[in-house]
Amino acid sequence: MKRIILVSTICVVAFVVLLPFLWTLSTSFKSLPDVNTYPPEWTSVNMSVRPYIDMFFYMPFSTYTLNSLIVASASTIISLCTGSLAAFAFSRFQFAGKRFFLLVFLLSQMLPGASVIIPLFQFLNAMGLYDTHAGLILVHSAVLLPFVIWLLYGFFQGIPREVEDAALIDGCSRLTALRKVILPLALPGIGATALFAFLGSWNEFFFALILTSSDATKTIPVGIGLFVGEYNEIWNQMSASAVLFSVPPLLLFALMRKTFVKGLSAGAVK
Amino acid sequence: MKKATPYLLLLPALLFTALVVAFPLVQNIINSVREVSMVKGVGKWIGLANYTHVLHDPLFLLSFRNTLIYALAGTLLALLIGLALALLLNMKIGRITTIASFLYTIPWVLSPVVAGFAWKWILNDHFGILNYWLSSAGLIDVGTSWLGNPHTALFCVILARVWQFYPFAMVMFLAGLQSIPQEQYEAAAVDGATTFRRFFHITLPNLRPVISVLLVLGVIWSFNDFNMVFVMTRGGPMNASMVLPVLVREFSFVYFDLGKGSALSIMTFVLLVALSFLYIRVLSGKETA
Amino acid sequence: MTQRILVTVLLSLILISCGKKSDVVEIQDWNFGGRPHLMVWLRQRIVSFEQTHPGIKVVQSDKSWNMIREILYASFSTGTGPDVVNTHANYAAEFGEAGYYYPLNTFPDFKEVRHWYMPELLETTRYKDNYYGLPSSAIAFALVCDKAMFDAEGIAPPKTWSQFREAAKRLTKCTDGDGIMDQYGLVLMGGDKGGFAYRMVPFFYKAGVNFMSDDLSKVEFNSPMGVATLALFADMYQVDHSIAPGFLAYGHTETNDMFCGNRVAMCIEGPWVRGMVHEKDPTKEFYIVAVPVPDEMIDRYDTAPTLQDMVMYSVNARSKNLNAAWEFVKYLRNEEADMAWIRDDMGALAVTTAALNSPEAQNIKDLPLFIKELKNARPLPPHPQIVALASNTFTPFCEKAIVGELSPQDALDQAAREAQSVIEGKE
Repeated sequence: MKRIILVSTICVVAFVVLLPFLWTLSTSFKSLPDVNTYPPEWTSVNMSVRPYIDMFFYMPFSTYTLNSLIVASASTIISLCTGSLAAFAFSRFQFAGKRFFLLVFLLSQMLPGASVIIPLFQFLNAMGLYDTHAGLILVHSAVLLPFVIWLLYGFFQGIPREVEDAALIDGCSRLTALRKVILPLALPGIGATALFAFLGSWNEFFFALILTSSDATKTIPVGIGLFVGEYNEIWNQMSASAVLFSVPPLLLFALMRKTFVKGLSAGAVK
Repeated sequence: MKKATPYLLLLPALLFTALVVAFPLVQNIINSVREVSMVKGVGKWIGLANYTHVLHDPLFLLSFRNTLIYALAGTLLALLIGLALALLLNMKIGRITTIASFLYTIPWVLSPVVAGFAWKWILNDHFGILNYWLSSAGLIDVGTSWLGNPHTALFCVILARVWQFYPFAMVMFLAGLQSIPQEQYEAAAVDGATTFRRFFHITLPNLRPVISVLLVLGVIWSFNDFNMVFVMTRGGPMNASMVLPVLVREFSFVYFDLGKGSALSIMTFVLLVALSFLYIRVLSGKETA
Repeated sequence: MTQRILVTVLLSLILISCGKKSDVVEIQDWNFGGRPHLMVWLRQRIVSFEQTHPGIKVVQSDKSWNMIREILYASFSTGTGPDVVNTHANYAAEFGEAGYYYPLNTFPDFKEVRHWYMPELLETTRYKDNYYGLPSSAIAFALVCDKAMFDAEGIAPPKTWSQFREAAKRLTKCTDGDGIMDQYGLVLMGGDKGGFAYRMVPFFYKAGVNFMSDDLSKVEFNSPMGVATLALFADMYQVDHSIAPGFLAYGHTETNDMFCGNRVAMCIEGPWVRGMVHEKDPTKEFYIVAVPVPDEMIDRYDTAPTLQDMVMYSVNARSKNLNAAWEFVKYLRNEEADMAWIRDDMGALAVTTAALNSPEAQNIKDLPLFIKELKNARPLPPHPQIVALASNTFTPFCEKAIVGELSPQDALDQAAREAQSVIEGKE
């Protein structure tokens, strides 16, 4: 009985939670006149996969996908590498100004995009990085960094010191202990953080819009934004692109879940 | 040499932050005390004039209030829902929880721009699916406006925000829940504790670090969240859902008055710094205890 | 010996490649928005431009219309940006004043080129004796009336305010018998601040009200006639309930859905309306008529001005290839190019005298009405702050008056005060 209640709750919640996505999915197969009719319909007569195909002809989405992959992957790797060092410092060391530095790493999140964009643009332009992958990667890495540091800080805190103290007694240096003992234990946490970082870069719209210009650098969200024009929106293709480009992060989520659960259930304390 | 280790570890991250944060921050401070316009560029020093203009702007107080509500309500509700769903999924009744935990993360993954439009369609007064269901069930009149009603618009954007943010909380809670040592629950069971007591005395305390991080990040992100409100209402109707990041954009890119836009950004910044500072004191205070 | 040959070969190769580079000039064109046909036409036009102008290569980039101000400001304020760009014609004042756009009248052949266009349209790109763009895509706002609804009710599309108010009232009804209104006389676009202003101002203009004085020093929309215009809408909303109540959230998608979905009888739109409506409902028929005038001004029905809007193609003042950019802009906007606006659904009207007076134009549905309206139409005043004034001052106060939060007099007076302080730089 309890099982039936649980299962039905899960299903109802799934429907409610997925409503916007389901509506987007439904729209992605419709022909343009059938979008937003009355009464609203989940399916319509002329449904097809045309929007999914047409969108690649309307804009070079294959190029945009490559760009998004490059930018998101590089930003994730860079922010994770620099971030884990910082998180390790916060978690395992006591030092003067610790609170100050923790605060500093939250600062970049505290300025609205509109006020940061012009200085960032000027900076990248001066460095010759405007409309380049490297420029956007630099910005995304910096924007993701605080988030990565704080998350990893939390995960490192969850690993008791006894574990590496044992390693230190055995003669390892701090950094070797980090590499051989802490990182493996923190792997699920690192995996989750990597996932969120990737997603943060993948879906980022505002900086990508202003800091890229040519098709060779534009990312997917910029392409999706182009569907909305002054007097026309191509709702079906826009929905198709949204659905299609949700798939890579979702796949990553699905793949990561295994390491996630495995690592956690292995336990931290020996 | 050993004393320098933590600082060395921080160095790469600090470099990034300096490059991409320090420069915009300094620019904003400079712009906020000067007369800046599109026509004349960065002009003469005018002291705190931009700040007083912002404070006297009737939209400022309204946006500030809206943003506070948006950030607090949005984050707290998202945390509650995230926790509830994490608890639900943690019951592990087989395949269905695996699939569900995957499906429940979809709001986080959907492009924010498209998510905003999807919510606009759902909430559309004459053609949206929500009103279709509600009016068919006789609960509301046909054509009841949600986004066009100044009294409900803010609530709608908060709803969309909660929808977008709860998966992050849920995944964090799931990880947190799964790392609570089983022994604690077993010990409680031996003592005859009810589910209720177990939740409040074991689960919640163990989740405190997760809750802390989620609150800080959630509130800060919501304070600067531009996309959802801009796509759904543009801050309307009649500024009923105007929030600080949208207002900064109005100053900076509609009026091209970067002086005022920077002043407002700095004010938001200072507020968030103060909040975070207090928060960190509480957090690290608890650690050393 | 071999060394010398190698060096010679290397040097020649370098010289050749250098030579090649200096032959081809590359210009950047940023294209903001545009209906699908326009974007297709643009790409074809670029191809034929490169064929007829060997030595100039055009790199075109599509940009998001909704973020035009952020994108342009970021680039132009740092001295970068494209060589050619299309923006609203009323950016001429702002971008001209800021020195972002190049004054096209500096080019020697401008004195011939200017005669391609309807003079009133070219004037819209002028700011303080300089012309900052070549016209494109003209718009005149008109009233669109659902044919089926009007015919069923037996009324003709309105010409005066009384007829307009009456038509809206009669066409506001409950159509499915459940006692709740589901059809309204008029829909407004409250969810898009700029769009709302563009639909209000035609009525003000038709009533002889100026937005601003001609010397741009004084706000004038709060004149008694201006208040009367706003009061018309306030009464329609609060007394007749003939304006769709959810209008504060409507952008052009929602207004289009309302019109195509038979929820409203009238809307205020421009030349895109046929394409936009038929994309959604190919069977829908409607009347397009001039925006109504006050009752006492019926004798001026044929000459009263409506609101005009326009796109213009401009050249970046800091472009390194001014002449190439000018050639490209001329090619995009010459009489031959402009005929595409007659033949195809570009969502807007042609701008050259040749195209507008062509026999083809007379035969295309709706065009004669729009062209007639265009000849008398006036744009928004060419003030550098006009964009902000229209969308952030005029719109919110008008909306408050319509829903009843303020009286029309108070609303326009307060708006005028705010606008005046913006103009005088006190803000």
